[in-house]
Parts: sequence; structure tokens; C-alpha cells
Amino acid sequence: MSIYIQSFSHISTQEPLNDQWFDAPHVLSERFNPCVEPDYRNWMPPMETRRMGKLLKRAVTVSLDALQKGQCEMPDAIISGTGLGCVENTEKFLNALLDNNEECLPPTPFMQSTHNTIGSQIALKLHCHGYNCTYSHRGASFDHSLLDAFMQMQLHQIHTALVGGFDEMTPDYFNMLGKIGYWRKMELSVCDLRCQGHSGSISGSTAATFLLSDQRLANTMCEVKAVEMFYGQDFSRISAYVNQILKNNGLTTNDIDAVVMGLSGDDANDAVYHRLTASVFQDIPVLWYKHLFGESFCSSAFGLAVAAECLSHQRIPTGLLYSPDSGKTEKKPCNILVYNHFNSIDHSLILVTA
Amino acid sequence: MDSIVVTGLGIVSALGTGVEATVEHLLAGQSGIGKIKYLDTRHCSLPVGEVPMDDGQMRELLGISSEKAITRTSLMGRIALREAVMQAQLCSRPSRKVSLVSGTTVGGMEKSERFYHDFLQNNERNEYIALHDCGACTDMIAHEFPGMFDFQTTISTACSSAANAVILGANLLHTGRADVVVAGGSECLSKFHLDGFHTLMILDEAPCKPFDKNRNGLNLGEGAAYIVMELAENAEKRGVTPLCRLSGYANRCDAFHQTASSPEGEGAYRSMMAALECAKLQPSEISYINAHGTGTPNNDESEGKAMMRVFGTNVPPVSSTKAFTGHTTSAGGGVENVISILALTRDFIPANLNFSEKIESLNFVPVLKVQSHVQLQHVLTNSFGFGGNDSSCIFSKIQSV
Repeated sequence: MSIYIQSFSHISTQEPLNDQWFDAPHVLSERFNPCVEPDYRNWMPPMETRRMGKLLKRAVTVSLDALQKGQCEMPDAIISGTGLGCVENTEKFLNALLDNNEECLPPTPFMQSTHNTIGSQIALKLHCHGYNCTYSHRGASFDHSLLDAFMQMQLHQIHTALVGGFDEMTPDYFNMLGKIGYWRKMELSVCDLRCQGHSGSISGSTAATFLLSDQRLANTMCEVKAVEMFYGQDFSRISAYVNQILKNNGLTTNDIDAVVMGLSGDDANDAVYHRLTASVFQDIPVLWYKHLFGESFCSSAFGLAVAAECLSHQRIPTGLLYSPDSGKTEKKPCNILVYNHFNSIDHSLILVTA
Repeated sequence: MDSIVVTGLGIVSALGTGVEATVEHLLAGQSGIGKIKYLDTRHCSLPVGEVPMDDGQMRELLGISSEKAITRTSLMGRIALREAVMQAQLCSRPSRKVSLVSGTTVGGMEKSERFYHDFLQNNERNEYIALHDCGACTDMIAHEFPGMFDFQTTISTACSSAANAVILGANLLHTGRADVVVAGGSECLSKFHLDGFHTLMILDEAPCKPFDKNRNGLNLGEGAAYIVMELAENAEKRGVTPLCRLSGYANRCDAFHQTASSPEGEGAYRSMMAALECAKLQPSEISYINAHGTGTPNNDESEGKAMMRVFGTNVPPVSSTKAFTGHTTSAGGGVENVISILALTRDFIPANLNFSEKIESLNFVPVLKVQSHVQLQHVLTNSFGFGGNDSSCIFSKIQSV
């Protein structure tokens, strides 16, 4: 059973619905980085979007775009990850509830507050009656959605799936997370995300979706060879899983052309990645993405996007290299490993090949 | 495919703590729905199904100090998880790869809505900021057994979350990624939920009347419930006795409306049909249906019509147990999986309380009185959520060979 990524679409801190970020990205320098919105009128009539929250508009649009790019009319499954769900609507309802002491509350923000509103709005737009599920497990929400799709394809339950990660950031939630150490204390002009000795990262915004299928087509971006997720603090298990994945696929670390990692500029977060680079992935170019897309619970979707785009373009642009002098980028990449962790306990390893 | 068996159950709801308290209430026809006692809300006249303990009593039961920050959803989850893990003997007869799949929707909201102004204005309650999201609840629940789980995830599909946890669990087992999966959900009452459902005008001000002609909405409940699942050969290797088989499951989408069900129950029909196909069963082989049956005018008619589409003129005995527990939202699939398995293994059909008059468009009436000493072979249970996230599970008796 082979599983392929047919297309990718995103609305994020970069130019929406295209791959301009691959060669000419916006450089992020703020702690709070807003989403760059496309013109939604190209995708849905204004009547339809009038009452939709921003995150829902983004989710429906990237889904339509990914299906169009992947030439698929109806996926067998819609699987969505979201760490925080529809924050804007949740805050609207919560504020009304607290301000008005539980009286005269508007129903729409409540209706659109549940995490699965995202997946169900996509299903409604497509009239898709197939499998529909939503994962909300912090920084692994997207990864667990991918795992679900991967397993169902392995078990021949589905042949195509839209797998996406969706998280928005509001000013209030940004401030709350800032209080518990999520963000850098100063602007990046003083010191970029590669400077060590700092805690916190920069915030981003994620609406990113992939069309997966079990058939290789003319425009297929890459193949997903392995998806492994695990929980625990034992560092040695990460390298054990890496070795297992490589062995299962007849590869050694020499065959890995790049490793994509969720380096964010937060010392505690990055320590795991640095340790892995120094032990298991010596001399393998490290790619990163949070300098372009910021941090959000579903930003790991961009880790897979980086790998898929590099394999699809058959090159690694220097802007994605964590250490620009790490060389070895002339070669056409063939195998890329994506590793992300959340709080050093939820781990995700994905192997993709050309 | 190898058969999946259930080896442990854990539950806490308005019916009390544990499977025995649950069975007692179900057999006696004693509902847990009553006046609001613990939730601080102005809608105190609405009937709800509260777990009969305050946070302090749950902490005491679990041995968690009053200093430690923890949400009610996590406390309830830990109580149910503990029972399920103990019954399955996962501590004394461990397995290598154990996963926890838990469903929740509002997660830590019950604390967040109390401390929200603190979150925004001062640093008094910062420890609860990180406990707000769904995943945080699962992590706190898993801490009941440190080091037991090597994979944890959270599903959030509103009222079908816990049923979908079982479906993911089955796939984790069938792909060999897990030897044992603990699957279910936990959700406590919050003003956010109560007021949310209230604005949608789907809360009954009297005890709910599922499948009754004059039904007038649902009663919210709270609770947590988990089942322990593993392949039959793994249970045998561990030397634990299986309670029943998980024989079928399916997830389909109604794709009709954000909060309403389609008039003909398209998603419900598809999910029941797909679960039957997965179980390789004919509709006539189902001995009991534990319906989603919320008591809203919309759900019960839509679900009932879907049942008629699947079962024709021979709809098997049906009851909704939500008049016992209230609608426990994300935990609902878990609570009703456990109730269905108890019915199956102890040979009874719980009553559908508060019913008096048949819905005209339906060709069946629910089970009015508890039926004991009935032989059940296959039990189907439905869990439907906002957004048309519809799932069905089928549990079957272990065949004696």
C-alpha cells in the first residue's frame, strides 16, 4: 500500500494559496503575526461567508483549493486537526456570557465554537458524507489527523482524504499564552529565532491542508512512507523510532537528504532537536519552518509542507535551511524525514520520499 | 481481521461512580437527573444530570491535593479511567504498547469561564491557562497512570467524540500500533455548554422525554466513561477474560446543517449501515439499539426515520438512556458504550424513561420498562454530534466455541 500527497494548500502568515513562500517568503519579525487573507469572494458567495468565522472561511477555502489542485471532486474522508478550535467564536460567546450574566446570548458563535465545526463546514460545502473526524491534541493535532488517514488507507477503508491543520490566534489568546511563556519577550530585530538563550517563539496562523490518495498521479508531490507517533519523555525512544522507520524502509541515515524540524527559538523546545541533530542526524541538513509560519498548535502541518514542496520542486531553497552553511543542498532530495515534538512528550515522525 | 474484545469498563455519571451503581440505577429505573447542585449558573431551574460529587470529593476519591490545578473534566476522566484499567488488569498484567484515546469538546472550559477575567487581567490563575484545551484534559487524565501510555490523543467531534475514540482505537489495534487501547471520553457541565444549548432552545425545562411525541428538548449531563479494547489474542496472552467483542463501527457525516439533523437521517442511516457492514451482520441480527435519542424534536425523528430505513418494519428494541444520565455530550458515546456492554453482558434492556405517546411518523415505540433475563447477541449504539458527525458501534457476545 502506497500513500501519496497529491496537493497542498494554505492560508497563513505567507502569501495565501500558492508556494511563493518556498522561494520568496515574507520575513516575520513580529511577536504576533497576522494571517494573510485571500479574497474569499473567489471561492464562496458573500452570502455564504457572511456568518462564517475567519478560521472556517480559511478551512473551506484551502480544502476547495487542495481538491482543485489535486483534481479530486470528493474525498472519502475529511480529517482535521485543531489545537484550540474556533477561538474567535468561543471568545465571542464566552465574553457575551460573562458580560451579560448568561442572558440574551447570540446562538451563532456557540454553534460555530466547537472544534468539529471546521470539519463539518468543509463536509457541508462539499456535501461529503464520508468519514469525518477532528483531533484536538495540542501540538500534535495535525499529526494525529495524518496518522488516522494513513492507517485507514493502510487498512483499505478509504482511498482519498483531506487532512488539514487549523488554528487561529486572537489578541486575547495571544496575551494569555504569553503569560505562560509561549512568546519571545522582545522583537526579533534584536535577535532572531536562531539565537539561543531565549524562551518563547513568535505566533503564527495555520490553515493548511493536504489531499492524500493511494494512487500516484502525474502531479503527485511525494509519497508518505511512514507515520509514527508516540508519547513519552524518554529521548532514547526517538532515535529508536528513527532507526526502526529507516530499517523498515530499507534506508540508512546516509539516505536521508534533509530533516525538517519544529525549531521555534524557544530553548526548551529546541533542545530536543539540537540533541537529535548532534546524535542521530549528524551532517544531514536541517530545515525549519516556524521562522516563516510562526508557532501555532497546528504549525507542524508546515513541516510536512516543507518536505512535500522540496521533493516536488526537487530542490531545497537556502531560506529553509536552519544553518545556511550546512551544504549538501545541490543534490536533488529524495528522502526527507519530518520530526516534531510538543513539550518533549508528544512526538511525530513522518518519512516522505520523491 | 482479528477480532477486538473489550476487557474493561469504567464509568462515572449522574448514576454514580462505577458500573455497579450504573446497573443498579438502570435496573431500578432510577434516573440521575435532578436540580443543579454544583454548577454556578443563573439557569438553576433546568434539570441536569450532574455527577453527584463536587470537585473536592473527586479529589479526595483520587487522592489529589487541593493545591494541584486540575479541571473537573480531568477529575471525572481519572475516576472512569481508573475503573477501566483496574478491570482490565493493565497494571498487574501489562501490555507493551498501550494507547489512550479520549474525547472532549469544551475541555477545561468550566474553569476557564470562572477564571477568564483573571486570565486577561492578572496572574492569579495562570496555571489554568495551559489546562484549558482539549489535549490538556487527556494528558491530565493519563497522569492517573504515569508511564502506562505510549500514545495519547484527543478527539473532538462534539457528542460523538467518545464513539470516534473507539473507531480510532480499532485502527490502532488493527495496524499493530497498539496492543491495548483505552477509548472513551470525558466532559463536565459548564455554563458555556448549558448556555450554548439554551440559546439554541433545545433544553427541556422538565425531564427529557426521548422518542415521545411531546418531547421538548434534552437535559444536559456530565460524566466520563472508557472501555479497554485489545485483540482477542492479546487478551488471551495477558490472561484476562473478555467481556464482549467490538464487532462493528463506522463514522459518517450528515453534511446537512451545523446543528440540525437531516429530516431523513442521512448520516445516521449511513453510519448504522456501514457499522453493520463492518460487523458482517444483517439488520435482523441486532437485538437491541441504544439510541442517541436526545429528546430534541429534531434528533429523535431524524434518528427514528434512519432506523426505519435500516430495519424496515422490524426495528429491534430501542431505548435512549439519556433520561437516566442526561446528554453527557463528548462523554456520551463512552457512557452509552458502557451501558450497551452492560446490557449485553448482563442480559437486560434498559428502559426509555418518560415516554407516553408515539411519534406519528415512526413505526416503533421504545422499550418502556426494563427487560431483564433477555438474551442479547448484538447491540448497536448510536452517537451523533453537532456538524453531522454521526458514529455507530456494535458490540457482540463472545461466542462459546
